[in-house]
Amino acid sequence: MARAPRAATSHADIPLEAAPVTAPLAGAPVRQTNLWKDAWYRYIRNRAAVVAGAVFVLLLLYCLIWPAVSPYDPNDVDFSQAREMPSLEHPFGTDTFGRDLFTRTALGGRISIGIGFAATLVILAIGVAYGSLSGFVGGRLDNGMMRFLDALYGLPYLPFAIITLAVIGDSGFWSLVIALSIASWLTTARIMRGQVMTLKQNDYVRAAHVVGARRHRVLMRHILPNTLGILVIAVFLELPGVILGEAFLSFIGLGIGPPDASWGSMAQEGYKVYRVFPLLIIIPSVAIATLILCANFIADGLRDALDPRTRET
Amino acid sequence: MTTFVLRRLVWTVPVILLVILLTFLLMRQIEGNPFRTSERAIPESIQQNLEEKYGLDDPWYVQYLRYVKGVFTLDLGPSLVLRNRDVNDIVREHFPPSLELGALAMLFALVFGVPLGMLSALRANTFFDYGAMFVSNVGFAIPSFLVATLLIYFFALEWGDIFGLPTSGWDTWQSKVLPTIALGLGPMAYFARLTRGSMLETMQQDYIRTARAKGLRWRRVVVVHTLRNSLIPVVTAAGPILGFLITGSFIIEQIFAIPGIGRYYVTAVTGRDYSVVMGLTVLLALIVIVANLVVDILYGFLDPRTRDARA
Repeated sequence: MARAPRAATSHADIPLEAAPVTAPLAGAPVRQTNLWKDAWYRYIRNRAAVVAGAVFVLLLLYCLIWPAVSPYDPNDVDFSQAREMPSLEHPFGTDTFGRDLFTRTALGGRISIGIGFAATLVILAIGVAYGSLSGFVGGRLDNGMMRFLDALYGLPYLPFAIITLAVIGDSGFWSLVIALSIASWLTTARIMRGQVMTLKQNDYVRAAHVVGARRHRVLMRHILPNTLGILVIAVFLELPGVILGEAFLSFIGLGIGPPDASWGSMAQEGYKVYRVFPLLIIIPSVAIATLILCANFIADGLRDALDPRTRET
Repeated sequence: MTTFVLRRLVWTVPVILLVILLTFLLMRQIEGNPFRTSERAIPESIQQNLEEKYGLDDPWYVQYLRYVKGVFTLDLGPSLVLRNRDVNDIVREHFPPSLELGALAMLFALVFGVPLGMLSALRANTFFDYGAMFVSNVGFAIPSFLVATLLIYFFALEWGDIFGLPTSGWDTWQSKVLPTIALGLGPMAYFARLTRGSMLETMQQDYIRTARAKGLRWRRVVVVHTLRNSLIPVVTAAGPILGFLITGSFIIEQIFAIPGIGRYYVTAVTGRDYSVVMGLTVLLALIVIVANLVVDILYGFLDPRTRDARA
């Protein structure tokens, strides 16, 4: 889904906490620990999340490295080898132009995942700025900003992405990043606001105010660092929506066009010939599905690891 | 409760105005207009006359106010590209299929997703649960264009003789089966996961233990105490998803050649048919707003605590 449902934001109202320290055995040295180390131990105990993380990293490495070491030129047209089924030489087969699909899928992945991460970072940047300002200042400004946010929830996501692309006038990498993030930062802003408002109540924040710390220092030094856990989770919550959005736009012909390829535009090419050679649409779609599946499991694992109180049963 | 609903209704008016304003301002940034394209060499004087006729030479706020007046009197103006057709005609013709598709997909998702999630929760950590959750996780991750293509490939072509389902169109009930499943599968998987998680959480609440301790039959505990409370997150999610299904079915409409609004929308954007794009965007925004409104009101019924907070 393009937007996480509002219910999900309720998790954010619960502050991060260090894990309960288990009583050390008599005589054993006390294990030095901190939030991130604890989170790591909790994460690696979640088998699904570990597998998803490993597959995710492998997929990233494949997309980054394989095009450079592949024996095939991804744009090399050779009609004598068109539409071959998978073999040892071509693990994913070849496309209509005889290009090696294993190499092209890696290249498409670079663009799809690149747009995914870039748009996610833009979404987080806007969301953090908007949400923390609203939550930290509070009062009337907060009220106004939240009403504005409510109004923006009325914007239909895909139509707005399409209009944005038309406004920019082309559909390159960064145009897609802007189009995909322009109407998707709302949930992140809401989560951030909730988190900042909760953190604001903590004694150490009051203490910082009392000793005379300036407001921006309190925000930067005492509040924002504590939202890092939520933000790490948010990366993997936003990523699937953005990647699917890019695939949709490219599929209806408004995204990445030839000679460049993303997984969405590869699927579009494959769709044209699905009756005779379905492999061409299946491979990029399965790549998208794998990535999204991994991101979902990683997000679940991270939530359990970083925010144990909201652990799903 | 009445004041809550009323306040919520009144609040939608500024929301609609703001959404129209944002769409309007964004649309104005698009380079060129349909009368100033290179392929149609129209003399300068005629261009001016045309722009005058459609009011494109007025200041932007005049155009905006004229447009807002149009929206509230249900007149979305003429198409700038197709002569003799106005946006109302296009909406009347292309909106019903989109609305029907979105509603059918939503129905499909709820009817299959919620029970699947419930059964999984009631049989947590059994083989059935693992299977259902595996299907849900995969179903949620597969892009809808692959689902649509595979459905056509198998149920309309390979085994077409057995099922007799057409590959495209939107006239007979048979032609509506595959698009509904293709669009509804993702949300179905999502509802299943959501329902399962929420039910498991509810079943750990103290009031469930109380209900069981006072000797209520298990069936009653599940139906009356667990289900109602665990459906709250489902209702919350349903609003945005319904909006998304009606406004985001571009791909399904394209693949199944359904004469809906999504297919028309893309054509209108690339053809710079401002008034059509404006009209359709405002319409889609209205749907999202109404869906969210209905959810908020339902939410108020299901969970009285939220009435004051969300009004």
